[in-house]
Amino acid sequence: MSIPKEAYQTLQSIVGPEWVSDDPAICEADRYCSLSDPTDEKRRPGCSIEPSSTDEVQAIVKVANRYKLPFVVTSTFYSSGTYARKENSILIDLKRMNKLEIDEKNQYAIVEPGVTFSALQADLFKMGLCTFVPGCGGQASVVANTVNMGDAPIGWRHGLGYQRLLGVEWVLPEGDILKMGSLSNANDFFWGEGPGPDLRGLLRGCAGHQSKLGIITRIGVKVFPFISEELEPSGWSYHTTMMLPTNRFKWYNIRFYSHEDIINAMFEIGRCEIALVVMTVPPIFRGVARSRGVGCGGFWEYWKEAGPKLARKQEDLRVLLYGIGSDKRLEYEEKVLLDIVKDFNGSAREAPCQDETNFMAADAICANVVGGRFASEVSYESINQATRYSKEVDKITDAHRPPILQEYNTTDWICPYELGYVAKMECLRMAAAEDNYALQEWKRDVEVVCAERGAYALVPNSDVFGPVWGNYPEKEDKIRAAFDPNHVSSPE
Amino acid sequence: MLKVEEYKHQASTCVRCSYCKMVDLNWVKSSRFSRQCPIDVRYRYNLYSGHGLLHAALAELDGKLDFTPKLMDALWHCTLCGGCDIRCKRNLDVEVLQVIETLRCRCVEQGNTLPEHKMLAANVKKSHNIYGAAHGTRFKWMPKDVKPAAKADILYFVGDPSCYRHPEIAQATVTLLSKAGIKFMVLKDEWSSGHELFATAQLELAKEMAEHNIQAIKNSGVKTVITSDAEAYKTLKVDYPKILEKSTEDMPYTVLHITEYIDQLMQDGKIKFNRKVAMKVTYHDPCNLGRLADPWYHWEPKYESPNIAVGKKWRRGYDGIYEPPRNILKGIRGIELIEMDRHHDNAWCCGYGGGVGVAFPDDAMWTAGERTEEAQLTGAEAIVSCCPNCKDILGQAAEADSTGMKVYDITEVMLRAIR
Repeated sequence: MSIPKEAYQTLQSIVGPEWVSDDPAICEADRYCSLSDPTDEKRRPGCSIEPSSTDEVQAIVKVANRYKLPFVVTSTFYSSGTYARKENSILIDLKRMNKLEIDEKNQYAIVEPGVTFSALQADLFKMGLCTFVPGCGGQASVVANTVNMGDAPIGWRHGLGYQRLLGVEWVLPEGDILKMGSLSNANDFFWGEGPGPDLRGLLRGCAGHQSKLGIITRIGVKVFPFISEELEPSGWSYHTTMMLPTNRFKWYNIRFYSHEDIINAMFEIGRCEIALVVMTVPPIFRGVARSRGVGCGGFWEYWKEAGPKLARKQEDLRVLLYGIGSDKRLEYEEKVLLDIVKDFNGSAREAPCQDETNFMAADAICANVVGGRFASEVSYESINQATRYSKEVDKITDAHRPPILQEYNTTDWICPYELGYVAKMECLRMAAAEDNYALQEWKRDVEVVCAERGAYALVPNSDVFGPVWGNYPEKEDKIRAAFDPNHVSSPE
Repeated sequence: MLKVEEYKHQASTCVRCSYCKMVDLNWVKSSRFSRQCPIDVRYRYNLYSGHGLLHAALAELDGKLDFTPKLMDALWHCTLCGGCDIRCKRNLDVEVLQVIETLRCRCVEQGNTLPEHKMLAANVKKSHNIYGAAHGTRFKWMPKDVKPAAKADILYFVGDPSCYRHPEIAQATVTLLSKAGIKFMVLKDEWSSGHELFATAQLELAKEMAEHNIQAIKNSGVKTVITSDAEAYKTLKVDYPKILEKSTEDMPYTVLHITEYIDQLMQDGKIKFNRKVAMKVTYHDPCNLGRLADPWYHWEPKYESPNIAVGKKWRRGYDGIYEPPRNILKGIRGIELIEMDRHHDNAWCCGYGGGVGVAFPDDAMWTAGERTEEAQLTGAEAIVSCCPNCKDILGQAAEADSTGMKVYDITEVMLRAIR
């Protein structure tokens, strides 16, 4: 089977013949995306199409509905779940939609889906502004990531990315265009709320549609004031970093000797409203950091020898202090931090004033360095709840080991946001490529515990979480039926 | 060419993070110039990228995909600039470039050589150079006042482009060496380096070129070969040992780019640039001198679970020649060097490489045009590079886009700076 000829010709007339293709090689290269469930069947799409405007996207979606052809959307391919699960899918690649406009005065940017975080960040730096690159990487699409969750360590101070979502232009699954926030009244992306019910929740959230309901073609995203000088990069591509001005930034690595102390210290840092980044440092992060410059192959070689030595009973916290507005502010933050460290019996060590992953790159350092031989389960809850849950994950992991590899002490990463209000806990486990199945089984068992505890998973498995969360998948289905009666928008 | 098991291992290790399309993320200086892969930026389809070609390679190997017109189009439009390869080695260490080269070999084995590439081979067979020019005229460019020695410690390997298309580079090089009092020789029977043949996967003939030139170098008795041609540099340093299943260090010679050699002379105080050259310039890193120029390490694939490549030395693009040309330019009075947004290992390809300049001149021009625009935005009045084909295509692009940007080979600039 293939895309009906008439439908294909219509698609050609929309974007021009060079921007749609059913060549098997083009389609084969679009079969996979990153971070997908390896047990899912991925089909070669029936055709790939590259629109350049919202009007073209709208027209494509209408064709998909007319011919009942499923469509799947991507832009950078660095995404979870954007692959064709159905025959004859239209793969809509939004890479050509890469317009970027920055309203310097009002501190927001209007971006299309092809704009990556590092591209936006580079332009913002020139204006003394910044955004926060998500943990998955600077090559991620600003639109896709912000609409979904927008998880970034710098969320400690500035919150999760989705809270920065302003006006939204949304091509609904049947091809109607919905403009949200201030964009609904005027050509203005400044404000995300109303009028009327706020529909942004349909786009994302723990149990939302994960951006599978139609196509977002433009968003306004809030940006933040930053230091006026541009951060200078340094190093070779296997090991690059951004040099931070020492009068405005300071990194501290802090060691605590009890679980309670590190938790209480995190809460206290939040209460005092200091720092830009606060996060725990699991041993695997230390392994990755120390093996930087030797890549994936080198990491495993290093890890085999060094992993057991990195396992310690101590708990490490990494804190980036930021003198927002002045050098004095940095001095103040440092004094407060060191007092807190003392109060909780920790020992603090200043780390080099540079940053590899929070401002520009954030290239899912751990996941990629270990060569995709990993699985992670991400959930959101309070700091103390997250750490307790981590202990249970350890027990589950032991039951799956081998083939799950030894990660030497906990490999769970706790990254609190909003000054400690909520914490992301990311459980990372590794296995050899041929044992990938074991990681999926582990993930499933972890999800069950996660659901039972009432933690909020980033990508909840509806079979597990549905019964616990009021059968939300049924409600989702109803919403989908209303918005997408032909069931063409990224169908499962 | 990778052996099948290793080819499959490499291609299947890709996690589709798309980093292969980007400038190193910490080095992104603007949204306009944030991407690295010319075919990705021009053609946009995922197939036109390292990531896409890896997946096509896997499907072709598994018999799920033929060499369709689009696959060949993407494959032959790739300039083999290696941006994808070293970017991947920030994290994943996939040998992206070797997979693409192997896919090209498989394409050629199935009889899919482009006519323009076949012509290169025919010319080489006929007259030992890619242009089909008479072999006897190879050194016709030699200035009358320069006399290479019959025997010397240094051998100048010229390469096809400087012999036949850009003799001004060869002339500047030998004049410079003469003025600096350096005794050098040339190979009486220099053949094409075979660079284009390696790039277009015509390996049998490429190997013949390698064997001939290596033997000729051995016969000359020299241990140090210098060249002003970035492509020849990479070919002698990387492709020759690679095809002979050796490491660079096992070759019977050491190859130096002219900039390495002159930079060392400068540091030793043996050469002085004493004439002012008042010019604001930007430097274009040729891929073959930069990220592709790490020494070659021969390795027989051997893995330990979960993913330890036993005894492998990686080529991550940092052992190339980046600083010597810059040191030279900074050492010339009056020259102001300004970097483009993408430089060093992040440099954007000129567009000529990988057989693209020969088979798809419009694409090469497009890629070069991107570069001249980037150069112009620095405020520089000239682009300086170290490769005849970079000079060629960037010069054409500058002329076509009316930027007024001048393009020089570094040997020409050095010559202007020496009395």
